[in-house]
Amino acid sequence: MTVASSGTRRGQVQRWRRRKKPGASGPRWDTGLAGQSKLAPYLFSTPAIIMIAALLAYPVIYGLYKSFFRSDFFGGPEEFVGFQNYSEMFHDPAFWDALNKTAIFVLGCVVLGLGLGLLFAFALNRVVRQLRFLRSVTIAPYIISNVAAAVMFKLLFNSDFGLLNRTIAFFGFDGPAWLADPNLAMGVVIFCQVWTDLPLTILLLLAGLQTIDTSYQDAARVDGATGWKQAWHISIPLISPQIVISVVWMSYSTLTGLGVVLALTGGGPLKATQTLPMEMYSTAFTDLEMNQALAIASFILVLNAILTLLYVGLARRYGTVE
Amino acid sequence: MTVDTQVATTAPPKTPTVRGWTGWPRFKRVIRQILLWIPLILLMLWTLVPFFITVMISLKTRGEVFGSTSVLPNDPSLDAYREVIERPGFRGAFVNSVLVGIGTTFLTLALATPAAYAFARFNFRGRHLLLLFTLLPRLVPSLGLMIPLYQLAVTLGALDKRLTLIVVYTGMLLPLAVWLLVGFIQQIPPSLEEAASVDGAGMWARIRYIVMPLSLPALITIGVLSFREAWNEFTLVLVLTTSPGKRTLPYELYLMQGIQGIQNYPAEAAFTVLTILPFILVYSRIEKYIVAGITTGSVK
Repeated sequence: MTVASSGTRRGQVQRWRRRKKPGASGPRWDTGLAGQSKLAPYLFSTPAIIMIAALLAYPVIYGLYKSFFRSDFFGGPEEFVGFQNYSEMFHDPAFWDALNKTAIFVLGCVVLGLGLGLLFAFALNRVVRQLRFLRSVTIAPYIISNVAAAVMFKLLFNSDFGLLNRTIAFFGFDGPAWLADPNLAMGVVIFCQVWTDLPLTILLLLAGLQTIDTSYQDAARVDGATGWKQAWHISIPLISPQIVISVVWMSYSTLTGLGVVLALTGGGPLKATQTLPMEMYSTAFTDLEMNQALAIASFILVLNAILTLLYVGLARRYGTVE
Repeated sequence: MTVDTQVATTAPPKTPTVRGWTGWPRFKRVIRQILLWIPLILLMLWTLVPFFITVMISLKTRGEVFGSTSVLPNDPSLDAYREVIERPGFRGAFVNSVLVGIGTTFLTLALATPAAYAFARFNFRGRHLLLLFTLLPRLVPSLGLMIPLYQLAVTLGALDKRLTLIVVYTGMLLPLAVWLLVGFIQQIPPSLEEAASVDGAGMWARIRYIVMPLSLPALITIGVLSFREAWNEFTLVLVLTTSPGKRTLPYELYLMQGIQGIQNYPAEAAFTVLTILPFILVYSRIEKYIVAGITTGSVK
């Protein structure tokens, strides 16, 4: 493509060509505008590419590579041990426990997040005049730090003075110690994680709903479908790409999410909220076993990739996503 | 297109309706309105109650938090805020957060703009491959970077430096920034640049006076998202800083929960409010850019 067009280059005469696939991207020049050299695109993109290579690509590969090594003590010389870190990881009950907790956490977040997301997106889609205001309020949890959200939820769920237990006490009951009870802490963590992630889910689903052509709904109405039926048979299938994207994004965010769990419970009480990212963090920075922690990190990255492919594959199989 | 039908269903009837046989549909419509507003009220409560409670607790005294059952403070005081601001930990972290935020924003824009221009406007060998290489790392979660970046920072002696945080955050933001900007620059008609070129404007002049002003919305979006990332990021600052005075606000807030013997809840709440307030204030002015950025940017 480049070679063929550069043959017809005529000095400073500017010229642009459309790409072969129309609509795939805008027009571009080869060379030929004033002050433009063939090297320019490389010079322009190099700094960004170097940064991405050094800070994203290299660390991931480095981490993967180092997960096959081990040192006897922190900072000591490393030797190649093959898959030993992985085989030990798979024989470690703590790992399976953490995987269990992660499954509950991810599943809980995705189910709760998608349910609430759909409910709120459908409700917002019916609003016209106050939409801007409602939408900007909705986003608020998304633009604050995970740590700030965790502190707010700690205050909300405090067993002595939290709003929840005060409300329960108002009705004459004793509220539980939410964050100290191993059975309840996971619920609070899921709640908080969903709270921080929900705005994006709502926006994605809402964007999908707003692109639906009203003629579908009109046709459905003519056929006598109303309310729930219309939502279930028309709107939800039509926004299934957005639903898949939301699910992918939420499971990515929860599977690799450390901030909320660390700041809210730190994995406790009694390891009740010790998800895989927490297990990785404590292996690396409490036990100081970096290489073992890198094995866990690599496992999380692979699991994340598999899950993403799975969702997209499922969605494609049922013919809803391009 | 959706507007027409919705106005019809939401707008109250202007002309007085005849009572009698029209009563039932009207009643149904009222019920539908109520059913519609229940989830919206729920949404507002869900979103705002944690903020509200935190602000209220920050205005109480330590004794009042436990003693009084009222949500509202009896005698609102700003003592907790004064206490937080007087802490050296807070002031240092605030300055760090501001500097890292500004640094990240500018570095991201400075690196993303030329790269996006190259990808949007040039047909060069390896373009597709390089673009893929630029965008694909967007999928790397920061969790996978924590340990490798920590080890690299230790090796390079780069721990506890603001510049390290700026560079790392910029690296994390660049895929998204380039992605947003390429799409935007491609929509600027190239004829504008051709005309300027005829008038003798070189490439730098065209970028400076045509491309950048016209892609200002995208640049603002990227700037806001960059600042937000630097301001809120927690897991990487957690491993890349070790000593007091080098941390940013989220890390300092995280530490604050553990340090005190007896928990000082109003101060904790005040710290939280002071951490989120600056960005909320900025946010209210530039909300539409954020909406555009997070809906197009977060996907893929």
